[in-house]
Amino acid sequence: MMSSLRPDQDYTYYRVGTVDDFIERIGRKVKVEQADIAVFKTSEGEWFALENRSPGPRGGTLAEGIVSGTLLYDPICDWRIRLTDGEVMDPDSGKVQTYPIHIEENEVRIGIPKSEGGEANG
Amino acid sequence: MEETQQRKRLVMIGNGMAGINTIEHILKLAPNSYHITVFGSEPYPNYNRIQLSYVLEKSKSVEEIILNDYTWYEANGINLYTGTQVTTIDIQQKTVEADNGVKVAYDRLIIATGSRPFMLPVPGVEKQGIIGFRDIADCEHMLQTADQYKKAAVIGGGLLGLEAAKGLSKLGMDVTVVHLFKELMERQLDPTAARMLQTELESQGLKFATGKQTAQFLGEERVSGIRFADGTELETEFVVMAAGIKPNVELAQASGIEVNRGILVDDYMRTSAADVYAIGECNEHRGISYGLVAPLFEQGAVLAKQLCEVETEPYEGSTVSTQLKISGVDVFSAGEFMDAEDLSIVRMHDDWRRIYKKVLMRNGRIVGGILIGDGREMSRLQQWIRTGTVMTEAIHTAIVGQGAPDTGNTVADLADEEIVCGCNGVSKKRIVDAISENGLTTVEEIKATTSACRSCGGCRPVIEQILQYVLGDQYDSAAAKKEAICACTTLSRDEVVREIKEKGLITSQEVRYALEWNNKEGCSKCRPALNYYLGMIWPTEHVDERDSRLVNERMHANIQKDGTFGVVPRMYGGVTTPEDLRLIADIAVKYKVKMVKVTGGQRLDLLGIKKEDLPNIWKDLGMPSGYAYAKALRTVKTCVGSQFCRFGTKDSIGLGILIEKKFERLDMPAKFKMAVNGCPRNCAESATKDIGIVGNEGAWEIYVGGNGGIKARLAELLCKVRTDEELLEIIAAFIQHYRETGKYLERTSDWIERVGLQSVIDTIVNDPDNRRALVERIEQALGQVQEPWNGALVERIEQALGQVQEPWNEILDNSNLREKMFDDLSASVVPDRGTV
Ligand code: SRM
Ligand SMILES: Cc1cc2nc3c(=O)[nH]c(=O)nc-3n(C[C@H](O)[C@H](O)[C@H](O)COP(=O)(O)OP(=O)(O)OC[C@H]3O[C@@H](n4cnc5c(N)ncnc54)[C@H](O)[C@@H]3O)c2cc1C
Ligand code: SF4
Ligand code: FES
Repeated sequence: MMSSLRPDQDYTYYRVGTVDDFIERIGRKVKVEQADIAVFKTSEGEWFALENRSPGPRGGTLAEGIVSGTLLYDPICDWRIRLTDGEVMDPDSGKVQTYPIHIEENEVRIGIPKSEGGEANG
Repeated sequence: MEETQQRKRLVMIGNGMAGINTIEHILKLAPNSYHITVFGSEPYPNYNRIQLSYVLEKSKSVEEIILNDYTWYEANGINLYTGTQVTTIDIQQKTVEADNGVKVAYDRLIIATGSRPFMLPVPGVEKQGIIGFRDIADCEHMLQTADQYKKAAVIGGGLLGLEAAKGLSKLGMDVTVVHLFKELMERQLDPTAARMLQTELESQGLKFATGKQTAQFLGEERVSGIRFADGTELETEFVVMAAGIKPNVELAQASGIEVNRGILVDDYMRTSAADVYAIGECNEHRGISYGLVAPLFEQGAVLAKQLCEVETEPYEGSTVSTQLKISGVDVFSAGEFMDAEDLSIVRMHDDWRRIYKKVLMRNGRIVGGILIGDGREMSRLQQWIRTGTVMTEAIHTAIVGQGAPDTGNTVADLADEEIVCGCNGVSKKRIVDAISENGLTTVEEIKATTSACRSCGGCRPVIEQILQYVLGDQYDSAAAKKEAICACTTLSRDEVVREIKEKGLITSQEVRYALEWNNKEGCSKCRPALNYYLGMIWPTEHVDERDSRLVNERMHANIQKDGTFGVVPRMYGGVTTPEDLRLIADIAVKYKVKMVKVTGGQRLDLLGIKKEDLPNIWKDLGMPSGYAYAKALRTVKTCVGSQFCRFGTKDSIGLGILIEKKFERLDMPAKFKMAVNGCPRNCAESATKDIGIVGNEGAWEIYVGGNGGIKARLAELLCKVRTDEELLEIIAAFIQHYRETGKYLERTSDWIERVGLQSVIDTIVNDPDNRRALVERIEQALGQVQEPWNGALVERIEQALGQVQEPWNEILDNSNLREKMFDDLSASVVPDRGTV
């Protein structure tokens, strides 16, 4: 489980750009090491980073979805994904991997588990 | 971990529809009671076998019919072995063993092995080119064969055979259906209905050899023909057997479980062996092995309860109903369908409209029925049959009469376990519980919580009745009928539009706050819809909300399944120049596009373009976007017309280009397609366009409301006009009237059926004042539209219009915006790992 990792010690942090590189409610794709990550900034100014892969049956990407509050509507299958933890909402099910993201000195930083590729998704 | 070991071990053989449906029930009833292992001999997770017919006719891909993908199994802790055949069951030791050597012990075992096609035991059946139709592998085999061979025969004129035949015919094969009996679908249809069906399918290009008994397959290694018992022969290069199914019982039989035609089970799906259950097409319950999913799902619900120790009624059998999945052919049958002495019958037979309806009653109670050509009453009829409803005046009118009568509420009589939504296997009880536990009041909410009604929508009337039944006085039928635009509000399209105008709301956010949306940021349904309504109502004030546009409209390109994009430049009226073609070719080479394709809309599509290349491609092209993604004018197809054609009475090309240039880019409720033809030969296909124009000597005919897509509809004559000016005025007024009254995503074909052709004629043709007012409003809206890509063009338009607009379409000139929308970012490590 993600939550068993300690955010400051078990992650390597990456600088992915500045706050102004992102448009509110429009996702942007970021490549961090092997991972494709979709970054979203909500209208409340919250930041989220999710693996850029649709949890639906047809695959595809997530960055192009519609953002509504802290919900993301998958651009391919229209499933609802909770940005806060990647959980797919009823009546569908599944989970998208999330990554810690925070802003420091106007810089957007994303954390990748040090054992990425290992058991990040529990 | 420990907990897992205390769980009982549940093993299932067969990873198909009935079995996995049972597992889904179990996971809902008691998620932690079993440690589950599933074996499936096919190399796929559970998929929707029913929809193989769609895969065959290529309207769906294999990925689209997967019901439970691998992550579902993983998420639910299910141990899945695909491509693995179970070879032995030891009912004493309680173990199963598979062909890959795996041996697993069980506390409970479910056998869900389904069935296989029955292959006629006649000489030559082992030849190449003879297969059944059961799984993805068969489907792939058929798709390949259609590429290599021409002539096919399908043996069996039942549901499966006809769907297979239609699929092969769609793939371009010359198909003959061979049937032992004189009448098709003789187990579901009476002779009248069978004959109507055959005539319909013949008109669609299928051939029939009925009353023919297959005696032998001819040919060397590969089949080359069929010889019938009467001595006649049919030449064919491919044979699909759809002459029945055979339950897979051998595995159970070999392990000492009692079988007859199927594996024998009691009313709780128990076999003769302790703790072994059988579910689905492999079993036999009270003498019947069912071959359709609805009864299997009912069995599954009972078995799941049994296994979760939840009290359950016994399963006492099902009334089956059949629906043929061939587009344009409504065929439905349920319960008893043949005339008989003790039955009274209500019948309606209309050869001109090709409609046949028949309802059979015993002692006044409905026991069966057939619907051909008009399946609208399907779900209600099915429900009346299931519940043995007494025929009433209202039901009678509903079936053979005109109006929509009030048929009272019979859902009260439905059994709890009755499956109301066949597509998603949702029972009445699940819906009733969802309504009362979560306080639901609309079908949309029920959809979101239970998945019922999420696929074909056929169950909607019954679900509405259940709502009414559960809510009683609280049920607001007006509210239900008016259809909220999405689950965020209870307001309908008309109410929202009225409030926007009355309250002067300009932005989506104002609408959501002022009209008390229960979700303050809206959803993927209402966001694009509100953005459209606001732009339509306030053409000059409203600022387009880019974050409310669906991906294609935001990117001005069509997203593809692999995340690349398709780019379609305008080619007005389907006319291009050598220079433009050369430019397109050069750009295709420069950006290494995966394919250049001529579209169905008379222009070119550059496919497989990377997102980050989009802005540069448009810059290099310098052409306006063809809006192949937009809820706006797509194309105006034109024929050759009087400029060249010897029959042409009018300049169709010239007019087509003019119209396309005039109306392009303007947002509409849904996509909008036009065609202009030079004479009634209609080479550019007016009959299936939103507006189809046909030139005559001295006049233009204007047809409206056509659609060539999901639900094809022929356009109807709106009026005839003499001059080009009148023509443009009528078109402009028609489009604006549609823009102002259409629901978002409602094509003109649905809109015109809703508002009525006559009312449109009255508004536009017969009322010149109103027509002029409409034209004025559309001119104002047209004044605002801009080209998203081509900067130079934008400028020219702006100059022409004398106004400069909100710069959202200056994507190309605004490098900052362009980067944010189209370029990926890459990352660098933060050296001292920021603290949190
Ligand atoms: C490119 C094109 C196919 C082709 O290569 O010929 C095409 C491609 C798509 N069509 Fe189409 N349609 C194309 C002509 C048609 C036609 C024929 C025509 O326009 O003459 C029809 C039937 C006529 C009609 O619409 O009345 C057609 C009926 C549909 C429909 C069903 C619409 C309906 O109301 O029933 C959809 C689905 C939808 O709109 O929801 C659809 C949806 C789509 C989408 C956008 C699906 C999607 O959302 O991803 C396809 C994008 C493919 C891709 O991966 O890029 N396409 N589509 C055609 C573009 C024409 C153009 O130049 O703009
Ligand atoms: C083309 C087509 C169209 C259809 N259309 C309709 C329709 O419109 N409406 C309708 O109601 N029904 C329709 N059906 C029928 C419906 O698909 C079946 O009733 C349903 O799939 C049966 O479910 P099941 O779980 O019993 O069997 P299946 O779905 O066949 O699942 C059984 C699975 O068990 C596997 N298996 C068998 N033996 C073993 C073993 N020893 N070890 C491991 N795995 C094993 C099989 O490979 C198979 O995957 C259609 C069927 C087809 C083929
Ligand atoms: S529709 Fe008429 S004018 Fe146009 S190309 Fe065909 S025959 Fe010629
Ligand atoms: S029956 Fe098809 S969606 Fe419910």
